[in-house]
Amino acid sequence: MTNYTQGTARYVSPKKKGFFQKLASQWQLALMSVPIFLYVLLFNYFPMWGWRNAFLDYSSKKLVARGITPYIGFDNFKWLFSRQDFLLSIRNTLAMSLINLVFGTVSAIVLAVLLNEVRQKMFKRTVQTITYLPHFLSMVIIVAMAQNIFASNGPVNDLLGLLGIQPVFWLGEGKHFWWLVGIINVWKEVGWGTIIYISAMTAIDPALYEAASIDGAGRFQKILHVTLPGIKSTFVILLIMNIGHLMEAGFEIQYLLGNGLTAEFSRTIDVFVLEYGTSQMDFGVATAAGIFKSVVAIILLLGANFISRRLGEDTLV
Amino acid sequence: MRKLLSVLLALCLLGSLLVPFAVAEDQEPITLTYFYGAPGDQPNPDNKIYKMIEDEFGIKFEFEFLAGDLDETLGLKLQDEVYPDLFDGGNSAETLIDAGALINLLDYVNPEDTPNLWAHIEPEKNRIITHDDELDEDVMYIIPNYGLGEGEQIVNSVGGPAFFIQKQVLAWDNYPTIKTLDEYFDLIERFIAANPTNPDGVPYVGFDILTEDWRRFCMINPVQHLMGRPNDGEVLVDVNKDDYPTETFINQPYAKPYYKKLNEEFHKGIISPDTFVMSYDQYIAQLSSGIVLGMFDQAWDFGDATNALLTDKKYENTYVALGLVYDEDDVPAEDMPEGWTIEEHYVNGSLPNLDRGAGISVTCKYPERIIAMWEKLLSPEWAMIMNWGIEGEDYSIEDGRLTMTPEQFANTTDMEWRKSNRAYAIWDSSPKRQGYIMEGDLAGNCWEPGNQPENVFGLMNDYDKDFLSHYGFSKFGDFVNPPIELAPYGEAWQINKDPINKDYQDFLNIQDTQLPQVIMAPEGEFDAKWDAFVEAINPSCEVYSNFMHEEILKLVAAYYGE
Repeated sequence: MTNYTQGTARYVSPKKKGFFQKLASQWQLALMSVPIFLYVLLFNYFPMWGWRNAFLDYSSKKLVARGITPYIGFDNFKWLFSRQDFLLSIRNTLAMSLINLVFGTVSAIVLAVLLNEVRQKMFKRTVQTITYLPHFLSMVIIVAMAQNIFASNGPVNDLLGLLGIQPVFWLGEGKHFWWLVGIINVWKEVGWGTIIYISAMTAIDPALYEAASIDGAGRFQKILHVTLPGIKSTFVILLIMNIGHLMEAGFEIQYLLGNGLTAEFSRTIDVFVLEYGTSQMDFGVATAAGIFKSVVAIILLLGANFISRRLGEDTLV
Repeated sequence: MRKLLSVLLALCLLGSLLVPFAVAEDQEPITLTYFYGAPGDQPNPDNKIYKMIEDEFGIKFEFEFLAGDLDETLGLKLQDEVYPDLFDGGNSAETLIDAGALINLLDYVNPEDTPNLWAHIEPEKNRIITHDDELDEDVMYIIPNYGLGEGEQIVNSVGGPAFFIQKQVLAWDNYPTIKTLDEYFDLIERFIAANPTNPDGVPYVGFDILTEDWRRFCMINPVQHLMGRPNDGEVLVDVNKDDYPTETFINQPYAKPYYKKLNEEFHKGIISPDTFVMSYDQYIAQLSSGIVLGMFDQAWDFGDATNALLTDKKYENTYVALGLVYDEDDVPAEDMPEGWTIEEHYVNGSLPNLDRGAGISVTCKYPERIIAMWEKLLSPEWAMIMNWGIEGEDYSIEDGRLTMTPEQFANTTDMEWRKSNRAYAIWDSSPKRQGYIMEGDLAGNCWEPGNQPENVFGLMNDYDKDFLSHYGFSKFGDFVNPPIELAPYGEAWQINKDPINKDYQDFLNIQDTQLPQVIMAPEGEFDAKWDAFVEAINPSCEVYSNFMHEEILKLVAAYYGE
């Protein structure tokens, strides 16, 4: 053992090092991650203290004002799940999330592949800039535009009129609502969504394309056999992350675009919480709904991760 | 002698040292944060009235105007416990009171220290000051910002709810008198048949029903008025009976004829489905463009549209408030509440705007300064500055009458002008003098320029003068009956519904989702949709009716000092 010289020390298997030894040897890296660690601790773990609100009774404002919030066990959860409209809001949240996920991912990949095939730089850049732009607009503006575009006498119905189709009451019929949200989200976010895929595509070794060309592959075959497999791991990671966000269908768009007629389809968990929780200052109910969302999100995330691992793909954790 | 002089001198010097000290105590310049529970415009930095307030009281204001949803904004402020010094919770101010965000003003307001404020609230103190059973003390968190007028009640025009119709529609039909729903919709139908579009070729909209958020009252409130009651919110109270029977009217058989009528008008194309998906901004834009012939609303709710129409000189597109009631044969006798007779009463007796206006937050460091300012703002001198402006600049006095030139009067409704020349936000949410000036040289004038007869009649535009002359009226308030005596409980919509808030939210949500469907029900399906709606809403109606009845009885007891 004492025969080891300095030069052979690096052959010691890293597995034998303890956690702290390893940490000490990488102290620069550890130091760099301190702010992120603190951030997560402060904004993600520390607020969990507020979860206790879910078990307290906030329904009497006068008592709350004097700091009296009795412990009521799972009553807030029971109340939530006794409500037909809360169950509907879970359905709406998941439906709109799924539509957003599928539409968003497919449209971003298609646009990224198309852009990747464009050889003329000016055109590519212009298209990229134009498709990014709506991402930076506030949802309030997007919805105001959508309300005019989809109005009974708006451009969409005018266009349908030219094709001889009867005007559709887009904003007032619940059955259209989920799809409208999907379409509006695609329009707003498609350019933004392509960024990661395009960067993943630039990382693909050009030699692969050359090799494919030599083997006689055409443009579509190269997309199918080189480009798409090249972004597969990016796609899987993003998919797992997005599945973790399935319970977040967004709040602004449903709140702004929805109305009484479409409420049955537009009320998401967040909107329900606003109506029956936050705006009545019943933080117990609001927190209970939040906990429910978090628990479902964790299950979905771990589930997706597990399946991905089983299929031999990349995993997040 | 020299010694005496030097002592005197020393005392004078000492005194002069003390003077700034004394000033410093109650006039030290302070900046107060002010949340205003409605959208508004920041005043210009050179605003002359705010300058005077700063000079007089040493108070500057830092305004935050509402941007977004009121309840949500208040909820977040309360959650974070970050309160502005002056807190105007707008239409949800009771939230602030319940959350304990406001101080009890009775700690400062009393006949000795604040004679003006006390005299201001005294006539209505049984309504304004309430007894908190839990705290076991009298409380007043907000001094009503409107409705404490002096002298006889002024009804120059309808400021509240009514069925509105464009003046040109009445003019087109040679100025008819419209009293019932049938007459109203018949006139609109005939007008549209004869004039499908306006001169610019834009199609007219017959009747708008605003449903956005709390403004759903345009859809759910009319029935009580058709039954002959002023605004009690969502309940119908029989004030002629000793026990004040109270019920929600939306689920009653006598509500059905109104929605049946709307359903018919929907199928005639007078009501467009778009009205149910319209945001408030779109509604105001539509009204401002002059294409909407009629709607049920409250005059203050579309004030921006009226101002826009006036600015564009589209006088014929502005609105007249009509007091419509059910015709005898509209409602079958068996559907009427027991012993009920219908007589039109859209205008109620003057009512303090309870729980509306600015309160002082518990975190404010200078409550005395604010109270002192309010006290002074009620003095005749300051009341004139706040209401009329600066003499010679904004108005003049001729033979004891307050007068304004047409330009000066036009300025008072000009938003841009107000930014520099009116302390509008403070005026709006502070206690103020209204009604008639009762004492002094100016007695007989009105406290507010908008009510001064010379302004109302003399400065009325020629279109309106001519319009009224066809009816032989002198003011637009003549289209409705004179005010009915205010019920002892006030107006029931002011009752705080927090104790039943989840049922109340259900009550509202069911109307939001189902009433538009009832109104748009395909022909032949109206009855079924109506029955389904009534069945769905009945449980929350029952909770709500019972709750309101109890509260009304409590208010009646309090009013009579029991």
